[in-house]
Amino acid sequence: MSLKFLVVDDSVTMRRIVANSLKNLGYENMVEAVDGKDALTKLAADAEINFVITDWNMPELTGLELTKAIRADDKYAKLPILMVTTRGVKEDIIEALQAKVSNYVIKPFTPQILKEKIDQILANVQ
Amino acid sequence: MKNLNMSQLFDKLNDVKVLFQYGQKVVPVLQSLVDFMQETVPLLENINHSIADSTAKIPKASDQINNVTNATELATTEILDLVDAISNNVYSIEKKLETVNSAEAKKAELVEKLKAAISGNSEALRLLDEYTEIDSTKKNIDEISQLFPKIKEDSYNITLSLQVQDITSQQLAAVDHLIESVQDKLASLIQDIDDTQIEEFNSAVSAGSGIQAPEGATFDPNASYNMNDNRQDAVDAVINMEKASQAEIDKLFS
Repeated sequence: MSLKFLVVDDSVTMRRIVANSLKNLGYENMVEAVDGKDALTKLAADAEINFVITDWNMPELTGLELTKAIRADDKYAKLPILMVTTRGVKEDIIEALQAKVSNYVIKPFTPQILKEKIDQILANVQ
Repeated sequence: MKNLNMSQLFDKLNDVKVLFQYGQKVVPVLQSLVDFMQETVPLLENINHSIADSTAKIPKASDQINNVTNATELATTEILDLVDAISNNVYSIEKKLETVNSAEAKKAELVEKLKAAISGNSEALRLLDEYTEIDSTKKNIDEISQLFPKIKEDSYNITLSLQVQDITSQQLAAVDHLIESVQDKLASLIQDIDDTQIEEFNSAVSAGSGIQAPEGATFDPNASYNMNDNRQDAVDAVINMEKASQAEIDKLFS
């Protein structure tokens, strides 16, 4: 399966770190978005995007709102969405699950955790 | 009837007398209360001015926090640029060493051919063996090549550690928000006391909202930098509402 990632984070630092991590895992094909709104625009414009990695706290449209917006469209019902966030309280995780994120990673993440979660999601998609 | 009236009159006079006696006791207390108030008013005014002064300085503190965030983001970007440059250089060196390695392999082949060609000349063979022995290029290349994985791993770990910038910027945003909340409260307090107008400021905090992050905040007030895998395990466990085995957590996402 050829993967094209959409990396969504308002922090330029985090976008670069996630992008570097993906490259380290062998994934070179990716686009970046600075917030949820930008992500929706890029997702609509690029049919090749088949994996979303998003932060939660962002201006314009949060990661949670982005997830809800994506899931509201039937054609993205199975699009993998990995939430990567500092938010680790129970209520947040439940809310994210209810919004149908595919998996959840806490910042700061380790490359092992990122790989593990991506692999889990891909295993479920296939 | 007349006696009764007189008796009532004396009772009333006694009441008045008691009142005066009580008044004599109360007047000094009232006087000290007035004195106390007179002394307290300037003190309260001082406190009020002091609060007003501190409140007026809060926007500057808020600006400074934003400056720190911007500066750390800039510095982090520079570090990331340098790490990328190091990684690119390592990649270039690796490629060049591969070329050198190929040349060395070819050279070794030629030496073997040369040995065969000069098999009758013992002096030439001795010199060739000596040359082969002192030629440590291949050995050095192998040793250098072994360093690359470590350099790459270290570079990547530097990158990962820079996640601290995103997390501290969220912490600073939370502090900034807290400061603005305090300013809000102080400004409203000062306004209540003497109608002093504190400079309007842009705050997403509504009165009475405490120190919680406002709706749609772009920061997490509870962000923390902790490179501990247990934290992710804890999150996974929370997802499952209880301490669960990895298999059970994984099942939740399947």
